[in-house]
Amino acid sequence: MSKNIIEVRNLHYKYSDGTHALKGITLELERGNTTAVLGGNGTGKSTLFLTLNGILKPFSGDILFNGFPLAYSRKGLKNLRKSVGIVFQDPDSQLFSASVYQDISFGAVNMNLSEEEVRQRVNTAMERTNISHLKDKPTHFLSFGQKKRVAIAGVIAMQPEVLVLDEPTAGLDPIGVSEIMKLLRKIQKTLGLTIIISTHDIDIVPLYCDYVYVMEQGKIMLKGTPKEVFENPKKIRNANLRLPRIGHLMEILKKKDGFSFEGSTNTISEARKAIKTWSKNE
Amino acid sequence: MIYIDKYAYISKLNKQDPMYKCIFCILTFGVCLWANSIIVSSAVIIIMGWYTIFKGGIPFLAFIKLMTIPMSFLIIGVLTIGISVSEKQNIFLYYISIFGTNIGITIKGIQNASSLFFKALGMVSCLYYLSLNTPVVDLLQVLRKLKVPKLFIELMGLVYRFIFVLLETMDIMITSQKSRMGYSSFFKSYRSLAILATTLFIRSYKRSNELYTALESRGYDGEINVIESSFETKWKHYFVPTMINLFLIILALFLRYYSGGL
Repeated sequence: MSKNIIEVRNLHYKYSDGTHALKGITLELERGNTTAVLGGNGTGKSTLFLTLNGILKPFSGDILFNGFPLAYSRKGLKNLRKSVGIVFQDPDSQLFSASVYQDISFGAVNMNLSEEEVRQRVNTAMERTNISHLKDKPTHFLSFGQKKRVAIAGVIAMQPEVLVLDEPTAGLDPIGVSEIMKLLRKIQKTLGLTIIISTHDIDIVPLYCDYVYVMEQGKIMLKGTPKEVFENPKKIRNANLRLPRIGHLMEILKKKDGFSFEGSTNTISEARKAIKTWSKNE
Repeated sequence: MIYIDKYAYISKLNKQDPMYKCIFCILTFGVCLWANSIIVSSAVIIIMGWYTIFKGGIPFLAFIKLMTIPMSFLIIGVLTIGISVSEKQNIFLYYISIFGTNIGITIKGIQNASSLFFKALGMVSCLYYLSLNTPVVDLLQVLRKLKVPKLFIELMGLVYRFIFVLLETMDIMITSQKSRMGYSSFFKSYRSLAILATTLFIRSYKRSNELYTALESRGYDGEINVIESSFETKWKHYFVPTMINLFLIILALFLRYYSGGL
């Protein structure tokens, strides 16, 4: 088994209206990691995600899943979609059923499992996403955050190896954001999932992600661990993004107020540590 | 319109097997239609009302309000049956003559009209019993069991789900139009309404594309197959509805022979 579950090599994608959405993307998703794809609006993140489970067929370039290029035959796609699940940004266009239970069961039923197995998977998926109490509620009475969880449960029930989430935190309140991210972390640990998310929410990246790609106009501009990536504030800002708030504060302290820290510091706990070390050395 | 839907999820009867509720509803509906008697129809209204209000926990006022919805149609319909035209004058209780023809009400007319009135209300109460206590998703499950073509059921399910999304989108758009004075004059209202309709259509089209993509990525290949929540069915559940309907039938027959079919 290779280290990377998905490898994308020099991927190009053009829409039929001529928009060149992806211009030579190369990225690797390491098994069991959480990878973030950052980028402003319209940089091709969603397009990239749709190529990962074969919804969009790239114009040129390769996508390797477990070391083998994607097969675009009917059977190949079916197998691929079992292993790579996508949670879309707007749960209202993902949830097709008025019944939460039926919606979650859809993907699992399509895998031709026995009814008993499907029921069991639906129940565990609901437990894992903390929505067991919503079982008998109709979809249209749920809040946005609840719908999002139902959407995640519907994909988890298929027990994929890779979970692709397009803007999982968009439209959620701060508590909702941290709940969803913690939930994903927990699911990832229990199932050994590989997760890839796209987001504008910079502050969650150093907390929950192991690796970061920064996209700008269909290209990867930067990649590395959050620590490495946020050491290039200029490039980050060029891509219509910003540093995490803490990172920005630490940058100002370093530049203007004579503090000295090593590397980039992006979370509260990192900053606390860095300031403590600094005050000891003074 | 939407609050009817809400009651189905609040109702204490919504965990009951939808098949049972359907059969109860249709049986009673049929008996009420066949009996053609004011007393039986009233009994049906009372029984169905009792089930919905006391067993289902639907607010009394809400039920009454819903029962008055078909009233305007009903009154117009009943009036046309209650009023008869004839050249003879002795059959009328009250009449007016216009150009030699007499328009008025007869005893037969009143009997027909009132029996129709109660019959219609009785049948409506049966349908309310079903729709106020059964979520749509459960009804679809019944249709599936009755082997209604899959395509219909899938369409009904999708339509039901997306009515709410559409209404929500519409609400947001109307609010945003109103806040820019889109409905401040007659002409502007027309224009805003036209824009609203067009945009809603385009939005729906876009959303259907997104939905298709999302379904596809969960392995959709032409059929929406899901697992339904299971209901406990016991044959003894059917005892009460059968007894009630037997009673209604006997009552109807009795009335037919002894009271001239009231």
